[in-house]
Amino acid sequence: MIKPLLTRLLGHLVKQNSWARPHLQPYAGKHIRLQLFPLSATLVVLEDGGLGMAGDTAAHDASMRISPSLALRLLANDASAHSDIVLEGDTEFAIALGKVLQAMSWDYEEDLSRVVGDVAATQISQRLQEGVAATRKQAANLTEMAAEFWQEEQPLIAKKRHVEAFNRDVDTLRDDLGRLDKRMEKLSARLDALLKLHA
Amino acid sequence: MTDKTHFGFQTVEEHEKARKVGEVFHSVARKYDLMNDVMSAGLHRTWKRFAVEISGVKAGDRVLDVAGGSGDLSRLFSRKVGSEGSVVLTDINASMLGVGRDRLMDEGVPVPALQCDAEKLPFPDQHFDCVIVAFGLRNMTHKDRALAEMQRVLKVGGRLLVLEFSQVWKPLAPLYDVYSFKLLPLMGKLLAQDAASYQYLAESIRMHPDQETLKQMMLDAGFGKVDYYNLSAGVVALHKGWKTA
Repeated sequence: MIKPLLTRLLGHLVKQNSWARPHLQPYAGKHIRLQLFPLSATLVVLEDGGLGMAGDTAAHDASMRISPSLALRLLANDASAHSDIVLEGDTEFAIALGKVLQAMSWDYEEDLSRVVGDVAATQISQRLQEGVAATRKQAANLTEMAAEFWQEEQPLIAKKRHVEAFNRDVDTLRDDLGRLDKRMEKLSARLDALLKLHA
Repeated sequence: MTDKTHFGFQTVEEHEKARKVGEVFHSVARKYDLMNDVMSAGLHRTWKRFAVEISGVKAGDRVLDVAGGSGDLSRLFSRKVGSEGSVVLTDINASMLGVGRDRLMDEGVPVPALQCDAEKLPFPDQHFDCVIVAFGLRNMTHKDRALAEMQRVLKVGGRLLVLEFSQVWKPLAPLYDVYSFKLLPLMGKLLAQDAASYQYLAESIRMHPDQETLKQMMLDAGFGKVDYYNLSAGVVALHKGWKTA
């Protein structure tokens, strides 16, 4: 009974984001396999522009693969992470669906208000948002602390400026080597000419 | 010499099946919904709602509910198609159709109800966006003819949804057999005073084609693409076929 339940949830999400329907409708009947290790699911675009779970025998037109580390970067709103999502098959469809899924949001306050009323739903939502903001801040602080510790106290991670200096040194070494190589070639050519002359 | 067909586990003359099925449904019509709720523990509502969601029907669409009997699906589809669309409820059995029509009228859902044979649908070609038959196909004498008719009345791009009992997941089969052949007739006797009709329902489920066979039958009837969902471990399957040309 998981498919009816998930289809219900997807339907609810599309209903809350009604702008998505016209974007999905041109792809009606197409299937996409979403893989977020170890989970995977195949979705189908319905004829009304909604989304549902695909049947047991559906062949997918496109697939979207996201590794666990990439999922963390996506959750952290890392803009460069989107280019690392692996798309296969009908990429136009996969990109269009990806954009729609990315822009969709769950209006949980609206859903909550039906159960506990408007006032309580707003208060719960505010507390939740404050909680998420505080957790994010704490996580950022912890990350900074850990980075500082591994850079200063127990050097395990290189500092940015050290890495840049190292990169510059490598560039200089590469250029010097290139010049040395050219000089060696020239000397070798002259040596060959002298040997031929005295042969 | 006339052709033979199945009526539950019995083999009967083809012309006899429609009459016998008619008698069964005439007998169970009044308590059909109560029995459905008891037999499926209310799950038939979830299966039907899922079928409506997967149909992709939108406002303004035309929907045909074949063998729609008590009108559950017609009611759900009416909400989806809105005032610009239309739903037609059909059933070969006058008693079942009467129950559905009266109930829809009582609820203020204006749905035309039409008594007709699914093997000879009285509609023009390419007329509907979606056709649905829920728990009705297994009672039809010539399933291939009925499927071909449903394909004919669909527009190109239209969908047929077949919601029907199917082949249950193997490990659950012994338990399901006990339920079907012992409990089901007993419930029929206690709740509807009609054990024989519910014995037929159990037998007809076993004689119905399994998921893959029905999929092939739909492809043979002219559907370009067919997919199916196993629901509740295969107790029920929802087949969705697309008319592609």
